[in-house]
Amino acid sequence: MRDLGRRKLRTTLTILGITIGIWALVVFGSMANKINALVEGGSTYFADKVSLSADAGMGGFSSAPMPLATTDLVAAIDGVDVVVPEVMLLMDDEMGAMSMSMPPMIQGSVAGSDEGRETYDLRYAQGRALTAADEGNQVTVLGSDIARKLDAGAGDTIDLRGVEFEVVGVLEPTLTAPDQTAMVPFGAAQQLFVASLPPMVREGVEADAVSTSMTVYPEPGVDPDALARRIEAQLPDVTAMSGQDFDEQIGSSMAILNAILIGIALISLVVGGLSVVNTMAMSIAERTREIGIKRAIGGSRLRIVRELVVEAGLIGFIGGAIGLALGALVVTLVNDAGRSSGTVLFDLTTGTAITAVLFSTILGALAGFMPALHAARLDPVSALRYE
Amino acid sequence: MTLLDGRNLRKTYRLGRSNTVHALRGVDVSIESGEMVAIIGPSGSGKSTLMHILGLLHGPDLNHGPRPELSFGGRDMVELGEGERTRIRAREMGFVFQDFNLVPTLTALENVALACDYAGIGGAEARTASLAALDLVGLADRAGHRPAELSGGEQQRVALARALVNRPKLVLADEPTGNLDSERSSEVLATLRRFNREHGQTLILVTHDQEVAAACDRVIRMRDGRIHEPAVPAPIALRPAPALERASA
Repeated sequence: MRDLGRRKLRTTLTILGITIGIWALVVFGSMANKINALVEGGSTYFADKVSLSADAGMGGFSSAPMPLATTDLVAAIDGVDVVVPEVMLLMDDEMGAMSMSMPPMIQGSVAGSDEGRETYDLRYAQGRALTAADEGNQVTVLGSDIARKLDAGAGDTIDLRGVEFEVVGVLEPTLTAPDQTAMVPFGAAQQLFVASLPPMVREGVEADAVSTSMTVYPEPGVDPDALARRIEAQLPDVTAMSGQDFDEQIGSSMAILNAILIGIALISLVVGGLSVVNTMAMSIAERTREIGIKRAIGGSRLRIVRELVVEAGLIGFIGGAIGLALGALVVTLVNDAGRSSGTVLFDLTTGTAITAVLFSTILGALAGFMPALHAARLDPVSALRYE
Repeated sequence: MTLLDGRNLRKTYRLGRSNTVHALRGVDVSIESGEMVAIIGPSGSGKSTLMHILGLLHGPDLNHGPRPELSFGGRDMVELGEGERTRIRAREMGFVFQDFNLVPTLTALENVALACDYAGIGGAEARTASLAALDLVGLADRAGHRPAELSGGEQQRVALARALVNRPKLVLADEPTGNLDSERSSEVLATLRRFNREHGQTLILVTHDQEVAAACDRVIRMRDGRIHEPAVPAPIALRPAPALERASA
């Protein structure tokens, strides 16, 4: 261990190489985690249902008007059990398109209209859920990111698109869409939606006859994907999206993004690993004579290899730990900065942290292994003569 | 009692395609327990090679001649693998080198304890034994110093402590006084001599130094990879000093 201190500059540079690699792994890995959680949440949410909209909105969140009357047409289709009309709109017109994660949304549907079919479990950090009795009232349940951004809790009054709402509940973080959602009663959402339309369009739209999307729960035993195709066939104006469609559309593109992110991190790690190989090879060459002494006085090859591999592993571990610390710092700072604008980019999980440090330690040890093996196989007498 | 017995010891080094050096051309040698033996001879005479083979650092050549034999403490050493030879070096032999060969990052005490560690002794026991060994060479008060903080003579005495700490059956010393001035040289030689007299420590010394050779029980003179003449008591071997000077030159 003391040998690490012998060539301080070189050891420091090597540790720095590993540090940068692990830093990249932690930051990009956390970004990938966040994206995964988002996609995972959507995938779970959409798995057992079909989502309808007037156009092919990304991820099923569309804000184009859809006549409420469509509900009855959909309900008549074979295999449809329950139809829940919803209104979804951007909380703020200015954001959305340019955001890496979900934009903040306002979502309204009649509480309980899913007739107990919704299986996606929401947990409440504060207050209560919306009920059917809330229809007609200006109340809201906030997702965790929105609550943090607005610094609001149950009992506070907030402003949604110029209208005051009383916060009656706040959700636990889900790491996916609900975090960025303010849930309001259906009627209130309809009013907000119509108010958000351009004046020309607003003319022909009745607030109480509008929705933007519908969630269809199939009858038991009915394949959601087949039902989606059937709905699209019977109602040409409607785009139906099943869980399978979601996975294909969103899942595959996110998987590519993930692969790119992890790829960048791995490349930087390989570079870091090569610098450990270089450092160990040089430091072992310098110590040839010392290794000769140890072999001559009875140090076994195994002992020599072990000492050197432990040393290289330690370099990897130190680099990994510093990289993790710096990565965690960046992730925390950027997330804190992003929270005020509602954009949380990273999710640093314990798994990612452990993987990063473990990976760098093993990488270091492996990098040290080859030169160590070479050194241990040297003839002690020639090693002793080495200058 | 014979501690070490070698027969037909040969060693050829191949330096290039057509350049081979016959370092040992067939040597028979026998060392008794408790003996202090000097191996002398001019450079290139094969004395260091002989020491490396006796110290199990190299194996003798098996081809091109009668089968070599090497027994140490009654056991055959020729057939042993590298792992077993390493174990015997660690537990039953001690080494002293011309340029001390201490591990520069370790203190005197840690250098000595390293030999204990390799012999399978660790912890407090190793510490006690190492301190005792340093005390025997008169360096107990320097235990915490690094080699760079010690004089040449002190470094060689640390190396001596390291060689002796496991109470080895055999200590091999390659030019132990070669890098020391005459005063330090005498100190180291006196320590070796004392170990031989008081503890019956068997010692093999490879040396150019007349004074060192004269202090030994027996002198083996080597020349051109062979033992030059029958081993005789040191005073006789060394008597015609001018003749020896000529032989060594």
